[in-house]
Amino acid sequence: MIQKLLNIDRRWIFLFIFVGVAAAMLFPLPLPIRPSSDVKNVYNTIESIKGKPNATVLLSFDYGPGSEPELQPTAISIIRQCFRNNIKVVGMALWPDAVGLAQAAFDSVSRAEGKEYGKDWTFLGYKTGSVTLILNMGEDFHGAFNVDYRGNKTSEMPVTQHIAKLGSFDYVVTLAAGKTIDGVWVTYAVDRYRIKLGGATTAVTSPDMFPYLQSGQLNGLVSGLAGAAEYETLVRTQGSATRGMQPQSAAHLIIIISIIIGNTMYFVQRRRDRRQSVSGNEGTRS
Amino acid sequence: MIFFKRTLPLVIAFVMGIVAISIYYIPHQAAVDLNDLLSKWDRIIAAFAAFLGVYSLLYLHAGRLKRRQAGWGYSVFVYLGFVVMLTAAIYNNGAGPLVALRKGGAYDWLYTNVFVAADASMFAILSFFIASAAYRTFRARTTEATILLVAAVIVMLGRVPIGALLWESMPELQQWLMNVPNMAAKRGILLGVYLGAVATALRIIFGIERSYLGGDE
Repeated sequence: MIQKLLNIDRRWIFLFIFVGVAAAMLFPLPLPIRPSSDVKNVYNTIESIKGKPNATVLLSFDYGPGSEPELQPTAISIIRQCFRNNIKVVGMALWPDAVGLAQAAFDSVSRAEGKEYGKDWTFLGYKTGSVTLILNMGEDFHGAFNVDYRGNKTSEMPVTQHIAKLGSFDYVVTLAAGKTIDGVWVTYAVDRYRIKLGGATTAVTSPDMFPYLQSGQLNGLVSGLAGAAEYETLVRTQGSATRGMQPQSAAHLIIIISIIIGNTMYFVQRRRDRRQSVSGNEGTRS
Repeated sequence: MIFFKRTLPLVIAFVMGIVAISIYYIPHQAAVDLNDLLSKWDRIIAAFAAFLGVYSLLYLHAGRLKRRQAGWGYSVFVYLGFVVMLTAAIYNNGAGPLVALRKGGAYDWLYTNVFVAADASMFAILSFFIASAAYRTFRARTTEATILLVAAVIVMLGRVPIGALLWESMPELQQWLMNVPNMAAKRGILLGVYLGAVATALRIIFGIERSYLGGDE
């Protein structure tokens, strides 16, 4: 029996996960979401620049559709917070497949908050180069992006005409699925141009970011779906991240229960094997 | 011929490597302007790499199709996806390829309903495999494995609201694990990685590492 349970067909485990996640989605329980200090730091930095003349935040979309469920809710929440506080937002992408996601985020929030393209926000699109693009932006923003995604001149749009270089932004937030936070933004933008940088990343990447958080090179971090849900709590909006906390909690709980059952079976089996080998040895001696 | 295949690339790598490192530390407008110019060159070269990538991908899959290699059916989908997306992008909802991408067209629809959905689903199914792997292989066989297992359970619970519901201090304990033991290990790994990166960069600049030249270098 124990051996059977140890070698259970993995499709049963898939079924448990499916049932657990589906049940959590169908019958959601209200769960407490407490924003962590790293998430609050990003939120508070944006709050601190409201009221400042021409306050502008740069949002870099550095992720693809694979990370959309984790990072898109954060992008939407940050844009919403900026718009509600009359802070201008400039979007850009270091990943080509992020363009559609960025546009979707801007379109939905700008429509809901009644914000105008070119005056309150703009999207610059994707450009190649990554590191070298940041270096160009650090020296001459209008040179690096002379036109936005729609072909408007950045030197003429009210949202970007006051931006001379990367340092002109009041805050930069990178939403990254890969190594762009530490490999590009921290190394080249923060250390060279002394910008204030916040990050949002997938849960799997976030442990890599903690050294930069402690050193202050990254002033805050929204990590994974949980971080996105915390941000939604701060901006008082119940979005997909908040709704995702119930299925994610269920999945984590099932994984933990699986680990406990797996280990219990393993130890019971090991004890049996030992007993059998001891009684076998005694039998041989007698 | 050997001059163009080996000597010239080595000279370019050496000169550009030394110049790029030097101008980073020279606080003069001329150095800043040169850095700006070199960065623009780099971005232009990087843009051409996209064409190389497309050629390489299509060439690889053409070979699989020709040889009827195992799984060649997937290569058909590569070509199908490439042609359909490219056509939709060029058509651009009737506006043509020379203006910014129009909303609401075939490309937009395919991106949202096929590409985004398929890519997100691929990551979502990881949850099933993680659960299966956790049940089968995550065993407390040794002291180290037990510590890892306990830490993993705390982090998994502390990262979701149900953790705080089970025990109020779970998120704080999770945060401590991430901030102290995790970070100590990460710092060590990062120092090693970046020292290795510096060493490799110097080897390339001084022509010791030549594998980027291709062939039998």
